[in-house]
Amino acid sequence: MDIKIAWRNIWRNPRRTIIIMTAVIIGIWSMIFLTAFMRGMVVDMIENGIATLTGDVKIYASGFRSDPALENRIRNPGPLAEKVQANLPADAHMAARIRVSAIAQNARHSAGVTLVGIDPAEEAGVSFIGDGVATGQMIRPGNPVDIVVGKALLEKFETKIGNKLILMSEDAAHEMASRAFRIRGIFSAELEATEKRFVFVSKSAARGMLQIGADVSEISVMLENHDRADAVAEKIAAAIDTEAYEVRTWKELKPMLKAYINIFDGYIILWYLVVFAAMVFGIINTTLMAVFERMREFGLLKALGMRPWRILRAVLIETAFILLIGAAAGNTLAFSMVYAIGQRGIDLSMFAAGFEYAGMSSVIRPEIFAGDVVLANAVVICLGLVVSAYPAARAARITPVEAMARN
Amino acid sequence: MSIVEIRGVDKTYQQGKVFVQALKNIDLTVEKGSFAAIAGPSGSGKTTLLNIIGGLDVPDRGDVRVDGNAYADMTRSGMAELRLCRIGFVFQAYNLLPVLSAVENVEYVMQLQGVDKKQRRERAVAILDEVGLSGRYHNRPAELSGGQQQRVAVARAIVSDPAIVLADEPTANLDSKTGEGLLQIMEKMNREKAVTFIFSTHDRMVMSYARRLIHIRDGEIENGKPME
Amino acid sequence: MKRIFAALAVLMCFAAAGHGRINDPDPRELVKGAVNYLRGKTSQAVVEMTIHRPDWQRQMTIKAWTEGRENSIFWIAAPPKDRGNGTLKRGDEMWIFNPKVNRVIKLPPSMMSQSWQGSDFSNNDLAKSDNIVDQYTHEIIDRQTHQGKTVYVIRSLPKPGAPVVWGMQELKIREDHILIRQAFFDEDQELVKALTMEKIEMLGGRLYPVKWKMQKADQKEEYTVLDYQSLEFGLDISDRIFTIASLKNPRL
Ligand SMILES: Nc1ncnc2c1ncn2[C@@H]1O[C@H](COP(=O)(O)OP(=O)(O)O)[C@@H](O)[C@H]1O
Ligand SMILES: [Mg+2]
Repeated sequence: MDIKIAWRNIWRNPRRTIIIMTAVIIGIWSMIFLTAFMRGMVVDMIENGIATLTGDVKIYASGFRSDPALENRIRNPGPLAEKVQANLPADAHMAARIRVSAIAQNARHSAGVTLVGIDPAEEAGVSFIGDGVATGQMIRPGNPVDIVVGKALLEKFETKIGNKLILMSEDAAHEMASRAFRIRGIFSAELEATEKRFVFVSKSAARGMLQIGADVSEISVMLENHDRADAVAEKIAAAIDTEAYEVRTWKELKPMLKAYINIFDGYIILWYLVVFAAMVFGIINTTLMAVFERMREFGLLKALGMRPWRILRAVLIETAFILLIGAAAGNTLAFSMVYAIGQRGIDLSMFAAGFEYAGMSSVIRPEIFAGDVVLANAVVICLGLVVSAYPAARAARITPVEAMARN
Repeated sequence: MSIVEIRGVDKTYQQGKVFVQALKNIDLTVEKGSFAAIAGPSGSGKTTLLNIIGGLDVPDRGDVRVDGNAYADMTRSGMAELRLCRIGFVFQAYNLLPVLSAVENVEYVMQLQGVDKKQRRERAVAILDEVGLSGRYHNRPAELSGGQQQRVAVARAIVSDPAIVLADEPTANLDSKTGEGLLQIMEKMNREKAVTFIFSTHDRMVMSYARRLIHIRDGEIENGKPME
Repeated sequence: MKRIFAALAVLMCFAAAGHGRINDPDPRELVKGAVNYLRGKTSQAVVEMTIHRPDWQRQMTIKAWTEGRENSIFWIAAPPKDRGNGTLKRGDEMWIFNPKVNRVIKLPPSMMSQSWQGSDFSNNDLAKSDNIVDQYTHEIIDRQTHQGKTVYVIRSLPKPGAPVVWGMQELKIREDHILIRQAFFDEDQELVKALTMEKIEMLGGRLYPVKWKMQKADQKEEYTVLDYQSLEFGLDISDRIFTIASLKNPRL
């Protein structure tokens, strides 16, 4: 019956109830949706960061990280690769690659790039290049002239598929090595910077050009779950010679990402409080108005023998209704918007320059985290009830004589 | 056996700098089963006296004892409990919760009293029938006339067999015919259920229904003797 | 009549082909000769370089020593601000010296394609100007006359797999091995830039192009001119001059 009374009471002034519910809906929506948006950006940054030839775990020869020179390559990587493979979970993927800084050049342009020697089949599930090319064809394993470049680089160089691209780099003997490649395919990446930075050739082409035999620069491992990186890294480190090799997780390789994640977590809490602070005034105000209008009724109920706590409860039930309905609608709205946006994402290319700078792509796909949703709802409902306790207490304290004097 | 016993009650209100003595040294005894009217002009202290009997207001001085309970010794929640279970109230107006229908208004106090759900509806319907509101169970107060609303209030007041029903000018907002109808119902309930009624009025017609008249003027009882 | 037609047809074939005349010299030898002619066995020169841009112009004087196609070393002599800046080329590699910080750095690959001292010549132009001989196949496509001498127009196409950026080069070489023009084309056979020899005079005991102009296609007001002030060939130059130690001690 208390529920029935509360329900009817909130609809005595539908306009006011709808206004405050709308505030709650917008509040919850903005919390969940915008958080999902931010999460989307962060997840995107992580995915981008990890897929951009980082991987969840990476194994180098010692010294490569501080000086990614050819001397610090992994010599004779076969036994190492076997040990790494043996310590991976079944769903993990692994790729060994060669990478070296180089100059790409054609008749009109030249630019510094990172020359990456890969086996395309190995990269599937490990890095973005494993997903294939956007246009043209993937490099063929063992082919000495195939090269795949990014769309942005292709445009910058005013060239096209089938054209020649000269790459120059220092080889193992510190001699200048240059080789002519033919553009076979174009990859597109989330970030323009990635498209400009990496060019892919076959491992054998890179090895031949750099005179490094069967050596590689790094072994990269991709896991199903990024959070397991630490555990897997530890296991690998235990199995290999850590004097000769370094094992690093994405968190160590991309400390900025880790920092961003922490900053975003802080933002989210702050954002919740800001939104909630805005809602608090509405909630207190509405509840106070609703309570003052009905003081006579509360006085009557007290005269009839109703205890103060029951009056407090009655008022809180009304607020809870508004909050719960608002929250439900806000959640529905946020979820359905996120669902509607889905994998297409929202294109922010208008502001893309800034996003690129932060290492994010211009297309954001919002991601809902259960924890954020729980927190948003908990903040609104619990704090909403806490702040409406004040008007409710005013209602509970009224004496019948006072109430009747209010004519 | 007396159900209300008042000894030496004073009550003074302060309005700004002015002190108004609403009740002066009131002594009053009301027997069980009475149908008594507190009669007096506006401002004479009728409401104050009823409020003090009902435990809604606290006297400055003096003892109040209702249904064997000395108010001075009681806690606030004890008072609430007493009002809830032993005292019925009928006010001049705004007796009902506007969001509840007639039957729900009656049921609601029973719920507060802890009457179980099944009984509530039965008893509420029965009492509404008795006050002549068959067929209006599901009307909200706004859909009832003033007289009907007061009858719902009476029904609610007596539904759980209280020791006493206090009615403060229950007919003040009704036309005389309707008022008479209400008084007839109150009188019937008084007779049939042996519920003590104390009501206040300044209306001669209403006074004529009382079996005992307590005249009050300027906070003092003029004539405390029973008519019977 | 039949014979006349047949002769005409044969003539037209030759004209259409524009090359392949029996008495044409070997195009590769022509190119090699032109490169060697410009360098000599050894040379020592003073060159004034003018960098011209739409809103400014800069001049500097360069002193250079060369040995064959492999080695060269040069320093800026003027203006005073840049005096002593040196460049050493040995084979495909280059080092530069900055007297202000007294440091020699080896040009990393990233800098090889950048412009030398802000001019229209890239470091590669200086370091690799000789790979025209071996990395390309050459073909005479036309003959012209210049100052009474035959000029061979040679089309040079990179050999398959040659690590060169140009899609084609077109050289005009006089029968006396003087390079008149070298034009650089991209893979779509579009002109990118051209080096034109504007004045041919006696210098250092032989006819020599004394004014070189490097200009990007479609950039009327952007070019770099090399003006030879003096030039000597066949000097007995010590091998020690083409060393890093020597680079640090400008011979000015
Ligand atoms: N809450 C109050 N504050 C101040 N004065 C009051 C209050 N209640 C009643 N009074 C005064 O006490 C006197 C008695 O009032 P009341 O008991 O309401 O009389 P009645 O019900 O007979 O009209 C009046 O003079 C009234 O003005
Ligand atoms: Mg009154």
